[in-house]
Amino acid sequence: MEPPQSRIIAALNGPQTLGNSAFFWIFAILVLIVAIFFPFYASRFQVITASNLAISSLLALSLCLIWGYCGILSLGQASFYCVGGYAFGVVGINLIESAGNTNLALIAGIVAPVLLAAVLGWLMFYRRLKGVYVAILMLIVSLLLGLFMRQTADPSYAIGKAALGGMNGLRPESAGDPGIPNITLGFGEAVAVFDGRSAGFYWLVLAILVLVFLGLRWLVNSTYGYILIACREDSERTETFGYDIRLVQLSVFCLSAAIAGLAGTLYTAWGTYIHPDGFSVAPNILVVIWVAVGGRKDLASVIVSTVALGWLSLELSRYGEVSLLVLGLILIFAMMVARDGIVSALGEQIGRLVAARGSRREIVACFKGGRR
Amino acid sequence: MQASTLERVVPGVVADVILDVRNVTKHYGGIRALDGLSLQVVRSEIHCVLGPNGAGKSTFFKMLMGTERPTSGSIHYDGRDVTRLQAFERARLGLSVKFQNLRTFGDLTVFQNLFIPLRRTCGPSEIPDRVSEILRQVRLPGVENRLVRHLSHGQQQWLAIAMSVASRPRLLLLDEPTAGLSAEETERTAEIIHEVNSEGMTVVVIEHDMGFIRSLKARTSVLHYGRLFAQGSFDEIAANEHVRQIYLGTE
Ligand SMILES: Nc1ncnc2c1ncn2[C@@H]1O[C@H](COP(=O)(O)OP(=O)(O)OP(=O)(O)O)[C@@H](O)[C@H]1O
Ligand SMILES: [Mg+2]
Repeated sequence: MEPPQSRIIAALNGPQTLGNSAFFWIFAILVLIVAIFFPFYASRFQVITASNLAISSLLALSLCLIWGYCGILSLGQASFYCVGGYAFGVVGINLIESAGNTNLALIAGIVAPVLLAAVLGWLMFYRRLKGVYVAILMLIVSLLLGLFMRQTADPSYAIGKAALGGMNGLRPESAGDPGIPNITLGFGEAVAVFDGRSAGFYWLVLAILVLVFLGLRWLVNSTYGYILIACREDSERTETFGYDIRLVQLSVFCLSAAIAGLAGTLYTAWGTYIHPDGFSVAPNILVVIWVAVGGRKDLASVIVSTVALGWLSLELSRYGEVSLLVLGLILIFAMMVARDGIVSALGEQIGRLVAARGSRREIVACFKGGRR
Repeated sequence: MQASTLERVVPGVVADVILDVRNVTKHYGGIRALDGLSLQVVRSEIHCVLGPNGAGKSTFFKMLMGTERPTSGSIHYDGRDVTRLQAFERARLGLSVKFQNLRTFGDLTVFQNLFIPLRRTCGPSEIPDRVSEILRQVRLPGVENRLVRHLSHGQQQWLAIAMSVASRPRLLLLDEPTAGLSAEETERTAEIIHEVNSEGMTVVVIEHDMGFIRSLKARTSVLHYGRLFAQGSFDEIAANEHVRQIYLGTE
């Protein structure tokens, strides 16, 4: 009988992810410990930045899931992020005083983008739209939503106490109403408030990121993950083995929207701010760059590249608008040296080195599913 | 017993038909890949389809599997009109295909490739055993963790056959299963076809290799310009002057 912890690790490992060795997991735990203690040795500003990077990583994971694992490139992933953000904000502004928490707002931030994804996914996948058509259609949807949100400055665009606010971003209808609330979890008096600038919020986001990462590791290495990958490689062939690929694509699209919506919700609570610019081309492309540079076919690689590139963008933002340009150049460079991503390629290399030096057991563990 | 039914199939005698293709037409722009094809396949038989290049054989299989729709006509499987069913629905009814251009998942491992068809009928814990069993059957033992694109063409052909058989279909469609195989491997393919057929699987095979078709001892249909040109036992077909002209003569 296997001990339970090795069963759990086994469920998280598999051919669909890099890093299946003991070495990888020990390293991951060390990184996590460093991340957990980050607020104790970093400045307040750095912690706030780190929260933002963790939120971006969530968004990147959502695109990684559909694009890297199921072959559905969406150029409108930011739309789910923003729809989630707006939904959280609208419900939050309306209910924070009466309910005293943001439980429902948080749920709305996830459900709203999922509903949008369900409708769009049904329209696209049940009509067997593929590839570039899906990518472009999603970009257009995002741009249209942005266009709509931009012209909502008129007070008539209000949902209860929340005014959509056009280019001013989401705000309360009247000065007396509360603004976009902090994440406030719990019931009645027993609530925990996570101020977006606090270490508590950082730990909350970190915990969510870890959970989503582990959940996705489990998912992509399960039967569902095998089918996702088969769809990515040849969806028509996969269908002839008896899988309703329309349903597979629709379901993964909705799951991805849920994760993106959660990220958008956290983002909105982080800055207590959400704006129509989030629907524009740049943020949509930015997610694609994060995912592509790291390696769209591996979850961990995508987190690494998102944190690295997100940090770089912030550093570069001091020099004005160069950041997207630099990221674009990095993308081109990455595609030339490693088509499936720089971090993935490095990860595979390290995996091989470890295997070459490590014990026989580690060699077996690395090669069992480490390389695709 | 099942193998003998097909030998008794005579035109005009009501047979247990598993597949009934009625007047199927498929246009690709101006090209008529299929032009009013009607053809019946009897339950538990091995049925060979031959015809010159471009006769519409592969198109015929695409219509059967449902990856493409006929322009007109209907397809009846097991007494049921499946013309409007999606490919996955037909697969669930027991149809399975090996395409001419293999369509294995090249960037995945052999294990991952076999996982997909097997998982429809097996629990995840049974799969490793079933994979090694199937790989032994097609004489590819121990290649589980190899990337499929690193296999030789012959090995990929085997794998493609293995994938189509793995789900234990009731009607198996094989489009040129011996392309790229050695003589010995071709013989083994015939053995496997007989093996799965004796388990009750109906098999339709598109082939060019005459020796192979002869070894299958199967009822044979000849397609020409998207129509049924001739039908009969292999010997009858081989002796048919017209078939010789359109097909054998060109070889
Ligand atoms: N997707 C397509 N678009 C346009 N024409 C097509 C398409 N598929 C097949 N055709 C045409 O239909 C005709 C029949 O093709 P098909 O592949 O069915 O022939 P085949 O009998 O399988 O030939 P072969 O022995 O070479 O495999 C050919 O003229 C081919 O060019
Ligand atoms: Mg063909």
